[in-house]
Amino acid sequence: MFALEALIDTPMRFRDSSQRAVPDDRTRAARSADFEQLALPLLASLYNHASWLTRNHAEAEDLVQETFSKALRAFDSFAANTNFKSWIFRILRNTFLTSRTGIAASRTVFLEDTPHALDTTDGGPTPEDNLIRLDSHAALQTALEQLDPPLREALLLCDVEEMKYRDIALILNIPIGTVMSRISRARRALRDLLRPQLGESQ
Amino acid sequence: MTQALDHLDPERLSAYIDDELPASEREVIRHHLAVCQACALGVLSATQLKAATARAGRRFAPPPDALARLTAQLHQQPQTAAPIHPIRRIAWGALAAAILLAISLIGWRQSHEANNLSAELLDQHLASLSSGAAPQVISTDRHTVKPWFQGRLPFSFNLPESLPPDMTLKGADLTYLKGQPAALLFFTIHKHEVSVFLTQRLGGPDLTTLPATRSGFAICSATSHNLRIVAVSDVNLADLNTLLAALVRVQSPA
Repeated sequence: MFALEALIDTPMRFRDSSQRAVPDDRTRAARSADFEQLALPLLASLYNHASWLTRNHAEAEDLVQETFSKALRAFDSFAANTNFKSWIFRILRNTFLTSRTGIAASRTVFLEDTPHALDTTDGGPTPEDNLIRLDSHAALQTALEQLDPPLREALLLCDVEEMKYRDIALILNIPIGTVMSRISRARRALRDLLRPQLGESQ
Repeated sequence: MTQALDHLDPERLSAYIDDELPASEREVIRHHLAVCQACALGVLSATQLKAATARAGRRFAPPPDALARLTAQLHQQPQTAAPIHPIRRIAWGALAAAILLAISLIGWRQSHEANNLSAELLDQHLASLSSGAAPQVISTDRHTVKPWFQGRLPFSFNLPESLPPDMTLKGADLTYLKGQPAALLFFTIHKHEVSVFLTQRLGGPDLTTLPATRSGFAICSATSHNLRIVAVSDVNLADLNTLLAALVRVQSPA
């Protein structure tokens, strides 16, 4: 499903690094300070996302650490006025895919977006469709855990990281239409998981 | 106009609440929502789910020792390769202070000042919690808060158009940090009070050696092109960092 080059941490083709002069020590230190300034505010987000991907504290830390060192090495290819957050999230994701957990996870086949026009029949939403329980934070966390990882990943980038579909498409290396349908599917799956069982709570 | 009669399918509804549709389509949907209660409810419900997901998804904060290692890694990237030893419960601020301490008297003075500074930050935060005295500007509107500081501060700053979910701007005050004028903004994150201090980067207090916590309160700092920003709160670090990041993001680079 993933092209081989997507597995390698090519940090997006963000402009030419060819025109930039070879940095001397001073500018390298300045670049590194720039990098710290951009990366530090994202530390918590990256760690949170890494934890959702790996489901393990130690691995999440390793993943963020490796992401930082790869990102700094590739920082010269990052153009200043582009989106640093999606750039570094993409590095995080590619690093995850090449990790042991990531390779294991990629063996699970995810069925992409089968047409679901059939299951919405007449299209009119019923009031029951909106009946879900949002009062329980724990229930929602459990539901998130139960989501298919590819759906969850897209949803978290959208709702938690507040990224645009365009950026999510770049990070996940999928078309924007697929992003849209994954997010929509993720939300419907969450709804199904949160819908109160009939007769359960009266 | 007949489109206004079409119900929203799940994908368009999703894209609508994510603000991913072109203006013309948004307009058509708005017309439809005005007349279709079922779809209007669907949008409301989806918006609530989105906000709840944002909260539930922000779940894993780095444990203090991992946070210390990762911030230390970021800070000492240029030297590279030196293995970072696990240091429990010591934030890198303290680590940096310790290294400086060993090197020179200047280092000692900086860490000493950082301690004073963290005490000063915490005192101001606690004062805002306990005094009950209203801040000078009480407003959740960035268009009120930002202009209020004009002429009162030797610098300016931007406030985000919209804040991450469940984060609210409450008001602002003028204050001083280490004798430098500073903007003090009050936010709440899930009912936790947050004080955010903004000072000029040049000549402002040095934040690099601040401890990450003091008396159980988290202290986070960041710098933008020309500002130093410190946040103090008892809310979890992940949320505090999110707020800081949102503030840093809107500061213009030029």
